[in-house]
Amino acid sequence: MTKLILNRRHFMGTAAAAGAALASPAYLRRAHASGGEVNIWTYNDFVPEAFKDQFEAETGIKVNVRLVDDQGKQFNLLAAEQPNPTVDIMTVAGHRFLQFIDSELLAPLDTSRLSNWGNINPTFSESDWATINGEKWGAPILSGMEVLSYNTELVSEEEAMSWDTLFSEKYAGQTAYIIQDMMSIVMLKMGYDGNMVEYMDDPEKAAAIVEEAKQFLIDKKPLVRKYYDSGAEVQQMFVNQDIALGHSWNGPAAALINDGFPLGMTIPNEGSYGFVYTYNIANNAPNVDNAYTFLNAILASPEIGASMTKASGFISTYKDASNFLTDLEKKSTSFPEEQLANLQFFRAEANELKYSLVDPAVEAVKAA
Amino acid sequence: MTYDASVRKDAAGATAPTGARPFWGRLVQWGPYRAFAALATASPRRQFAILATFPILWLLTQHLGPMVQMGRVSLLDAYPVAPGTPQTFTLDNYMRFFGDSIFWMPFFRTLAFATILTFCTLILTYPVAYFLARHVSRRNQMLMLLLLLVPFWVGEIVRTYAIMILLGNTGAVNLVLKWFGLIDRPIPFMYTGFSMGIGIVYLTALYMLLPLYSALEKLPKSYNEAAADLGAGAWTRFRRVTLPLTLEGISSGCTLVFLISTGFYATPVLLGGPSTTVFSETIAGFFHVAGDQWPTGAAFAVIMFVTALLITGVFQAFMKALRKGEKA
Repeated sequence: MTKLILNRRHFMGTAAAAGAALASPAYLRRAHASGGEVNIWTYNDFVPEAFKDQFEAETGIKVNVRLVDDQGKQFNLLAAEQPNPTVDIMTVAGHRFLQFIDSELLAPLDTSRLSNWGNINPTFSESDWATINGEKWGAPILSGMEVLSYNTELVSEEEAMSWDTLFSEKYAGQTAYIIQDMMSIVMLKMGYDGNMVEYMDDPEKAAAIVEEAKQFLIDKKPLVRKYYDSGAEVQQMFVNQDIALGHSWNGPAAALINDGFPLGMTIPNEGSYGFVYTYNIANNAPNVDNAYTFLNAILASPEIGASMTKASGFISTYKDASNFLTDLEKKSTSFPEEQLANLQFFRAEANELKYSLVDPAVEAVKAA
Repeated sequence: MTYDASVRKDAAGATAPTGARPFWGRLVQWGPYRAFAALATASPRRQFAILATFPILWLLTQHLGPMVQMGRVSLLDAYPVAPGTPQTFTLDNYMRFFGDSIFWMPFFRTLAFATILTFCTLILTYPVAYFLARHVSRRNQMLMLLLLLVPFWVGEIVRTYAIMILLGNTGAVNLVLKWFGLIDRPIPFMYTGFSMGIGIVYLTALYMLLPLYSALEKLPKSYNEAAADLGAGAWTRFRRVTLPLTLEGISSGCTLVFLISTGFYATPVLLGGPSTTVFSETIAGFFHVAGDQWPTGAAFAVIMFVTALLITGVFQAFMKALRKGEKA
């Protein structure tokens, strides 16, 4: 199975790269050979290799990618480096904007310098979370969500339509989740606002809700196989058949589906949360002009958006990107309307209150 | 035999090439260099100072420097912070550990794991070291040591993944057990204290093996032969001769393995389960969370560092007393 997956992954990676190269639009040919470099902090597969190679060849701008796997790490790194950061472009999730903006780590995005801004689906580019203090702070590139992933040979779709299955005795020792993310989902499952926006004026109620969710996860701790942190970990557990189902982001799950692994994913009836990854320009970025050149180039065509989806499994925010996906890729990056109705986006307004309660709760669950 | 410098000078003069002198030759003839060399090597103390400068600088900048910085950060109220944000010194980060019991469980769990795994590593590697030092010919010892070293040429993460491949539900161990018909369903070895323990013992074995091998290899065979002549059996010879004379190796190996075990991060993350969270994971949590939590993480790291040093200090003192007792 592993061999098959590796072969398929290699094949699909090659096919994606070749497709992106063939589809290389004229934007790069129009770009001036300006030289220099652009430094990017981003997740694995968020800068397609074929695009990067062509961008470098045609603009003379060297793209230096530093991989990150966590929003918090990016924040801490950038805070430590300011006011002289080494990074030009970073990848912030939309619901984490406020924290970065309040700490003056991001520069407002001058969309007038991005002639391809209109290629982004307005659902993402013009959302309420995308405009803060009257400014745009990032270019949406990929959208993700918290889903329930399941091995289709072991778990039925009906079972996977409820988060309760994740905590059932039937699948004891065969589940995994990210505790921090599950705290929000458990609150939602219990009928509360997992974003905690409703309780901004009532910290005591917020604390009581977090306590209830924490206690729930502690009670269910004997049933879980593994608390994990990264997408690669949950993929590994599914492939090794260490787990039958688990909470995950849709990206890593979709990547496994595209590799031919018998995996399904749902947005359960109790609901779930979505988020949008954006490319942002760091405050005091050393290569601002190159950063805008890069952003405009990567937004140039839906083929690039599709190649990002193929590689990462997350859903493209580009208009018409799905036209360049295979049927299997479309299936792995789309959900039925009735499931999408259960989805809401993470919001940032109450983050300070929320994480001041959730972070210690996570430690308590781990320690219990 | 006496040394005649003039003969050497003549011989050198006769065979010296006639072309331009090489760089080093020109350097040693260069006046300022000669003056500096004369000044620096005028006394043994100065020679020692010259030799010690680089290692001391290395220790200060690469080892002590980061630890001092960690200690400084642990005393700040916030770090990292946006430019211009004022910072003040505080002990609150240390008080947070002592004031909140949720942090105690991973802390004591780490110390317990490290102690148990150190003991397990000692028990497992002592026979290997003994066999290597006492029963393998000197000619083959280096080859055997090389074979034992091979897995350590690759990184910690790669070796940890090797353990995952072995112990996973579809791993080699479960496949073999299934093939022999011993099990119907895979045994869930992974994400347990067992898998984490196997990983840490595997990763630290060499740090125990080498001091033990060194101690055993120095032990003259005649000691055991003398004990045998006096009528001591195999167990008595081991208990009364071999073991006491290798206490120094045991002490060094246990200290190394214990200290390394308290700091492991990647292996517990990858191999451990929900009930094996160790203190390094708690510390890492403070560095991952976006915000100004680094001081708390740094304070917790200092607490673990100091505790581990105290424990090894007590252990070393105990072993020293034991060695003295054996000699007496």
